[in-house]
Amino acid sequence: MSLNFYRRVAFGLSPNEKPYKDPLNWAINQLDRIPDLLWPGTIPTEKDLRKKYGEWVYGDREVLRKKFKNDKHAYRKAKDELRIKTGERYFELNEHAIRHFQTKYSKQPVFERFWLFWGNHFAISEKDFLAEFSTGPYQREIIRPNMVKTFEEMVQSVTTSWCMIHHLDNSESFGPNSKKGMEWGETINENHARELLELHTVSPNAGYTQEDVIQLAYIMTGWAHKWDRKNLETGDIWFDQEMHQKGDKIVLGVKYKNDAKRELAKVIHDLATHPICIKFVSTKLCKHFITDEPTEEMIDPVIEAWNKSNGSLIEIHKAVITQAYKYNEITHKFHPPEIWLMQLSRMFDLNIPLSFEKMNYTFKSKPNNRQRQLSWILREIGHSPYRAKQPNGWSDLEVDWVSPELLLRRFWFASVELPMLVKSGNRSHGFILSCLKNNFEDHKNMASLIDNFRFGTSDYDLGQKYGVICNLPGVLKI
Amino acid sequence: MNCTRRNFLIGGSTTLFLSGYFPKISFASMQKKNLIIISLRGGMDGLTAVPVIGDKRLKKLRKKLILEDVLNLNSDFGLHPKLEIFHKLWQKNQAAFVHATNIPYTGRSHFDGQNLMETGAHIPYKEKTGWLGRGLLASNIIGKGLAISLPMPLLLRGVPQNNNFFPSPDFVETKLIDQIYNEFKGEHNELIKSTLDTIRKRPLSMQIATDSDDRKKLALEAAKQLKDQSGPRVAVFDLDGFDTHAAQGGVDGAHADELEEVNKIVTILHENLGQAFDNTLILTLTEFGRTIKQNGGYGTEHGYGSAILMAGGLLKKSQVYTDWPGLKKKELFEGRDLNSTIDSRAVYNSAMSVCFNQDPEFLRKEVFWGDELPDLSQDLFKI
Repeated sequence: MSLNFYRRVAFGLSPNEKPYKDPLNWAINQLDRIPDLLWPGTIPTEKDLRKKYGEWVYGDREVLRKKFKNDKHAYRKAKDELRIKTGERYFELNEHAIRHFQTKYSKQPVFERFWLFWGNHFAISEKDFLAEFSTGPYQREIIRPNMVKTFEEMVQSVTTSWCMIHHLDNSESFGPNSKKGMEWGETINENHARELLELHTVSPNAGYTQEDVIQLAYIMTGWAHKWDRKNLETGDIWFDQEMHQKGDKIVLGVKYKNDAKRELAKVIHDLATHPICIKFVSTKLCKHFITDEPTEEMIDPVIEAWNKSNGSLIEIHKAVITQAYKYNEITHKFHPPEIWLMQLSRMFDLNIPLSFEKMNYTFKSKPNNRQRQLSWILREIGHSPYRAKQPNGWSDLEVDWVSPELLLRRFWFASVELPMLVKSGNRSHGFILSCLKNNFEDHKNMASLIDNFRFGTSDYDLGQKYGVICNLPGVLKI
Repeated sequence: MNCTRRNFLIGGSTTLFLSGYFPKISFASMQKKNLIIISLRGGMDGLTAVPVIGDKRLKKLRKKLILEDVLNLNSDFGLHPKLEIFHKLWQKNQAAFVHATNIPYTGRSHFDGQNLMETGAHIPYKEKTGWLGRGLLASNIIGKGLAISLPMPLLLRGVPQNNNFFPSPDFVETKLIDQIYNEFKGEHNELIKSTLDTIRKRPLSMQIATDSDDRKKLALEAAKQLKDQSGPRVAVFDLDGFDTHAAQGGVDGAHADELEEVNKIVTILHENLGQAFDNTLILTLTEFGRTIKQNGGYGTEHGYGSAILMAGGLLKKSQVYTDWPGLKKKELFEGRDLNSTIDSRAVYNSAMSVCFNQDPEFLRKEVFWGDELPDLSQDLFKI
């Protein structure tokens, strides 16, 4: 088995790991339980951060806008101060640190790859202040705990989470015949219903119609944040009967009797166990781990495992890994910038993320450059994980990640920025060679490409070396 | 010359012939025409950029946002004083405006709206390509799109081999690119290899490092590229910050700051395109306009109808092209927003037909699913 398997299903091997005797078992044994989050610094709860979110929007919208309505400079200044006080500039940086610390040090890196996958399947795209306060804790508290349950349970949790409901506007969806809908002349917002079908479960392959979207939106009416004067839109999710569309609904030919809040669980059950959903999500998993265009032979065993286990994510993950192992030698897969960065960080033991002591924040001034470094790098290489542009998340496909500037950004990172992230004990040529040997079959060829600089340990020399080896075909792709 | 005879024949001769449309140009004199789109994200307020003059209702509803020192356009409309370059070009028939226009989207969500302004579709997130990308593809103009941004904007997606310019903060050595290039072999590496080819063929001026937050430098480079007869034919700029819920201000507020950015880009393009400006169209694009009434924070909320700012030598004449819906309560959309009486996609479709030498009818079908979009090219552009 080629060493690239460790990068196909994880992040490569760190300098103190050695290739495992049975890589397939090594990988499969990581999937039965949820590893603890290792970040020694602050890990705030979703609820705490939502409270901060509330303080920020209330302070801005209800207080500052009115107070400084005639003075844009004073308004901007006050707003910046509020940003600092509520952590609006800080929490996303901390979330990136938690995430990258995990992929760098986890003893279950294969599990972490699936964590990234599901967080992106049920993506929260850039909207309002979700990236600043909510998307990170959503990954930790909604996605992660469900990874040892069933797909159906995952969809249930995601669909009723504050973050997804806010993201896809379900709080603004009123049944036109509901009490509030009639009183206020409001109607449905189809956004969440459409994405639940299109992105999260059955995909357009199911051939649903606009009427199906509307009917599902009816079922979903009432699942909303509890609004009040002080918290604005950051209240807890509840089911508001007064927003809920009365009457029976029909989605994809199945009738759902008028049953208030219980309708949603029933329709999610049917969607999440629909054969087209199973095929769609299984294919997407294979695209992530095996190749951009997986064949039926690659996908079928995953579907089989799904059916046999009634959608147990543990069993599904194991089947995916088994297939990735089986096809490791004959398929290629391009990795998007963030996974590439995580792999470099693990394989070469780079100095990111920043230590938790230095990430400590006082809420008194702007986060410093070091605290912003990781997030800045992610943005510069074009892959800020919690800021996908659309609800379909970041692409998994090579064609979407290969543009002139996106490639140049990687060259830039590896040749200019990366040397500054090399730990002082790791600057020797021998260190690079041993990392290459640990992770690449053709390490000798790779070493020959940087041999000219074998005596150099300056930032410039390291840039010459890392610039090349991090961007070779076998590194950008496996 | 980009549009070779062969391309031209493949690109549209059958459809052109069938529809009886033929552009009034000879092959010999065919100059490259540029189409530049500036996305104004957040909702540009058409009534701040191109205010209607002497409307009492507007004055009443916008007490704190009314502009003084408006630049004069005609008896009905003025121009925001920060949009100086448009005023200057107006004198030369090289600036015009479409007013009370928007994409057919009334939902007031930035995200859905921005998605639709780029896809040109009716349902948010349904289409995965942009109208500009589809227009280029339908016109068989490949590899001529330039995005002034790091990700490839949705607007340009749908056609392969687009270039983008958004340099990294530091320089990447040519020899590094060459060394890596030489290692890419084999069929499965073709895409990366051909992209590295594009990088290696880029003019020296694009191989720089710069602060990509400095929009001036980026615009300057875009102008240089567009000026080149064999360079890109389409460029896309992205500006945000138009979402002024507070302290929007008049002559000097938050919205004015954003208009100043537009002004800067157009000024640089005008100064540096030289002769090529005569064969260029610059159009703005936004997701919606803003409410007529100011809010409690002396800003405005998300609205509907807005305006398109246009510049370039391919404009027919200086004009405010509009079917003005009026600002009385009953004339407003849902009693609060400037209505949209022109589907802005008709403007973009017509602009593409002019710049890509295509039959607008053909593009309307290929790009906008045959939606009812009148051909405005006779009214707005030189054809």
